[in-house]
Amino acid sequence: MTALLQLDGISAGYGNQTVLREVSLAVADGGMTAIIGPNGHGKTTLLRAISGLMPLKAGRIVFDGHDIGGRRPDEIVAAGIIHVPQGDMLFPELTVLENLLMGAYLPQAAAESGRRLEEVFALLPKLRDRRAQIASTLSGGERRMVGIGRGLMAGGRLLMLDEPSLGLAPIVIDQIYEVVDELARSGRAVLVVEENAARVADKAVLMALLDNGRLVWSGAGAELMARPEILATYLGA
Amino acid sequence: MDVIVQIIASGLTMGAMYAISTIGLALVYGSLNMLNMAHGALLALGGYVCYFAMAHLGLHPLIGLLGAMVVCGVAGLAIFLVAARPMLRAENFETRIFIATIGIGAIIENIVLRLFGPQPTPQPFNLSGAIVIGQVHVPNQNLLILGLALLLMAGLALLLQRTRLGRAIRATAQNREAAQLMGVRVSFVYAQVLALSGGLAAISGVMISSLSSLLPNMGGDPMLKAFIICVVAGLGNVYGAVAAAIVLGLLEAMAQYVLGVQYSFAILLLLVILVLIWRPFGLFGRRQVVRL
Repeated sequence: MTALLQLDGISAGYGNQTVLREVSLAVADGGMTAIIGPNGHGKTTLLRAISGLMPLKAGRIVFDGHDIGGRRPDEIVAAGIIHVPQGDMLFPELTVLENLLMGAYLPQAAAESGRRLEEVFALLPKLRDRRAQIASTLSGGERRMVGIGRGLMAGGRLLMLDEPSLGLAPIVIDQIYEVVDELARSGRAVLVVEENAARVADKAVLMALLDNGRLVWSGAGAELMARPEILATYLGA
Repeated sequence: MDVIVQIIASGLTMGAMYAISTIGLALVYGSLNMLNMAHGALLALGGYVCYFAMAHLGLHPLIGLLGAMVVCGVAGLAIFLVAARPMLRAENFETRIFIATIGIGAIIENIVLRLFGPQPTPQPFNLSGAIVIGQVHVPNQNLLILGLALLLMAGLALLLQRTRLGRAIRATAQNREAAQLMGVRVSFVYAQVLALSGGLAAISGVMISSLSSLLPNMGGDPMLKAFIICVVAGLGNVYGAVAAAIVLGLLEAMAQYVLGVQYSFAILLLLVILVLIWRPFGLFGRRQVVRL
């Protein structure tokens, strides 16, 4: 499968501090790619650099044949990269429906919003019942669903999810990953950041391990689970 | 009975006038966390532009008002481009923009002073005549102010709740980064908010000067009251600010009648202190800083 997103030696960070160092990675056009690694080692920074929230210090980001490095976040959304940020970042005073419709803010997405809303409700039926509720009154699992649903409303070609399991009860994590898995299996390109390698090992077509801002290993999930020395060194498993 | 009608009529007029000058301020604070200290100078600028268009160019009052809105809208946009945008990502944005807009306000006020002089000038945008309720004469100009305030508030509510721009303004106010991830070009939204608040300041300046007169520093007092209303309502809460403005206008009219004009501002401040002791985040404010 050809690469949809190609990272070419990208470095990024806050001020003088470099968090991400010369990371190169190819994300396939379909299926799940997972970025794993301990907390505070650059996984979130990587997604923020891709979506333009954080400036690149070095390297190139090529998406669908176009160099998108240095573009504004709104331009990158328009190009088709959808970033569902860590901790959901919902609009707390808007209703579930208003949050979802904000996902389809750009004109090309707004034109499809009716059809996409039905798709989101079909995938996440709970949101249909909750649509008139103010977002800040939802439970953690429901918020996560709104975050993912809001991302889906944008359409796009690559869906990036930053720790969809963060802070949720195990049973809710399973529900969320069922949805993510369903999206990946239907052929959508999904880039997932996850702390727990075992949770995505059997689903991801490619896993990339970030340690201290560097890409230290990448390969198939089954391969990683067969390498206890890597798991022990980097993930403490 | 006539006294009550009189108090309600003048209280509502004052409240409506406060509301118009407050919503622009509240909208900007709610969206950008920016206390626009140049708002008072924009009131004066708007009043004088309308005066100039009518008295010197002989234009129709509505064109005068529209011209004032355009000039102040452009001034608001310029404040965003020159001062707010360059420091948007800086640390202590709130403090920096507060100080910067004090300077911009002084510049605008002095330009107005230089062009039109320090003498009080009557505002030609003024309806003559009055309607009589019982024994009370309510000037048509007061009714115009009340009607205009209601129209503007309804319009703003419609804009915020029903339009694409309104949704973008609210979303950006609640979570700037998330709004960016939805494809909102945040600096465009901010620019439009500042231009809108400039236009509102112009209307407010024309109305205020029509009841008193034009002076280059005429914006100071209304802006102070607008700040007080914003703080009482909860900073940045647009709908709360409208409600607080009307209530304070009525209370002020009552205090003026019962205790005399000289006490009305002191009473206003006393009320503010009491409200802030009881609810430090404002009547309609929330502990969590989320507004529109």
